[in-house]
Amino acid sequence: MTKIEEVKAKLEAGKAKLVPGLVQEALDEGNAVGDILQAMTDSMGVVGDKFSAGEIFVPEMLMAAKAMSKGVEVIKPLLTSTSTSSLGTCVIGTVQGDLHDIGKNLVTMMLESAGFNMIDLGVDVSTEKFIKAIKENENVTLVACSGLLTTTMSAMKETVQALKSSGLTGFKVIVGGAPVTQAMADEIGADGFAPDAGSATVKAKELVKA
Amino acid sequence: MLTKRQNLMETIKGGNPDRFVNQYEFMELIMEAPMDLPLAPGPGMTVKNKWGITFSWPEGQIGSFPVHDDEHKVVKDITKWKDVVKAPSVYYTDEEWAAAVAHANSVDRTDKFVTAFCAPGIFEMTHHLMGVEDALMNLYEEPEAMKELIDYVVEYELAYAQQVIEHLHPDALFHHDDWGSQISTLISPAMFEEFFLPAYKKVYGFWKENGVQLIVHHSDSYAATFVPFMIEMGIDIWQGAMTTNNIPELIKKYGGKISFMGDIDSGVVDHPTWSREEIAKYVAIACQRCGKLYFIPNLSQGLNISSFPGVYETTSEEIDRMS
Ligand code: B12
Repeated sequence: MTKIEEVKAKLEAGKAKLVPGLVQEALDEGNAVGDILQAMTDSMGVVGDKFSAGEIFVPEMLMAAKAMSKGVEVIKPLLTSTSTSSLGTCVIGTVQGDLHDIGKNLVTMMLESAGFNMIDLGVDVSTEKFIKAIKENENVTLVACSGLLTTTMSAMKETVQALKSSGLTGFKVIVGGAPVTQAMADEIGADGFAPDAGSATVKAKELVKA
Repeated sequence: MLTKRQNLMETIKGGNPDRFVNQYEFMELIMEAPMDLPLAPGPGMTVKNKWGITFSWPEGQIGSFPVHDDEHKVVKDITKWKDVVKAPSVYYTDEEWAAAVAHANSVDRTDKFVTAFCAPGIFEMTHHLMGVEDALMNLYEEPEAMKELIDYVVEYELAYAQQVIEHLHPDALFHHDDWGSQISTLISPAMFEEFFLPAYKKVYGFWKENGVQLIVHHSDSYAATFVPFMIEMGIDIWQGAMTTNNIPELIKKYGGKISFMGDIDSGVVDHPTWSREEIAKYVAIACQRCGKLYFIPNLSQGLNISSFPGVYETTSEEIDRMS
């Protein structure tokens, strides 16, 4: 097994304590920073697919994401803008009236490892806060709204509609959360929907590249 | 006509129920019992419960939430949990028990089960203490410390159970612990088996050894893959079973060992623009596909209420019509 393959295997197994050392060894062997980052990103894709398929669960996702972020810490000082694949900035938050954040946090981790620069606004995020964040950050390509309560689905609708009529451009809107469906996403005018964190990255990439 | 209690027993034993068991009708919940609910009492309020967990219900929200910023988390480092986690006393005065005892005494036990209520569950307690992400990651990173903490919560639950049993002599237990989202469980079956199955075997075993005939467990989620463990730990009825579990199939597979209470998702019928027609439709679907044995049609909500006034009662009326 090459060092890079070892990094991938340990990352997929969620070995947060081992990954940083292996990343360092991979660097010492002369692997390019961009290749190591790409390998880790691919592994997170694998983890996301396994999660979508129900083969792994939330703890395994959290551990893999932790391993990835520890690995990224090692290469961060060496990263130049050319070695990072940039999908732009994604503003994410749980909509107003809702405090659930486990699903949103998983989506954040997955999008970050896929190459988005993430701005996490937290929970109970008002429409105004979303709009302010889009104005204040550069190159916002995606806005992601999460909601777990059926009672906050109206807040999600308001947010999506306000974003669409704000006059701001350059970004797509993706929505998700347990009660959200593709039909509902279409109805409230969102550009995309994904049922879980694994497919969220696939959809997000598709949206910003379109 | 069978009493509610008899009809329930016929249903879960595979006998001859003469109608559908209607939602929570067989349980007389003794909510007056002194307990430490994981809730802030109303909007705009923040409380710290006896475990030191802060619950806040911000204005404009539909319910309360445990607060897990660095300042409020009870357990910041799981390896040092013993320094910060102190279970509250389970001893209450006779005065504090009086209302509950009077309620229990007033119940006709041939008609209904006097039912003790317990929440939060053991898994929920771990995430209330440290936040759900820490709780889940610690199962990997510090499994031994997590097991010790779980044992400690079990000891507390057993001590509390002893008090409830002495004062109320309950016939049934209604115990909450949410184990999943609507499409999957939060942890894998293997992890559940390692950490939580032994804990629940002790707790439910104790209630049963002490006169409790019926264990009803609430998890309004997907949890089909945990059903074998539910059976092993002594659950008689899983309440909150959502449609995503494919309940007809579960009844075929496990009927006789456990019964399922639910198949009408609250999220689908309990909303601001609810209607009798919509409720009737989903009640009919549930009753027709699940049948009378090993099944109790019920909203998935964890108490005999609905979020929007009228929904619970209308659901009950529609279930009676199906009978
Ligand atoms: C864990 C949990 C909690 C924890 C939350 C901890 C936390 N930090 O988030 C606690 C105990 C604190 C809690 C509190 C409450 N909860 Co709660 N909770 C749940 C539970 C059991 C699981 C949710 C979860 O985390 N799932 C795991 C994650 C990984 O899944 P997920 O969130 O669905 O996210 C995935 C996808 O949906 C998707 N996704 C999510 N967001 C996004 C965003 C985008 C853009 C995309 C593309 C995808 C995407 O990807 C994620 C990963 O795959 C659900 C039960 C259920 N059936 O869902 C109830 C549930 C959501 N809660 C509910 C309720 C009612 C509450 C309370 C009001 C309870 C109360 N009375 O106090 C409060 C809420 C207060 C508030 N204002 O928000 C209800 C909602 C009912 C309804 N009809 O709306 C549920 C459904 C339980 C029930 N059936 O009663 N809860």
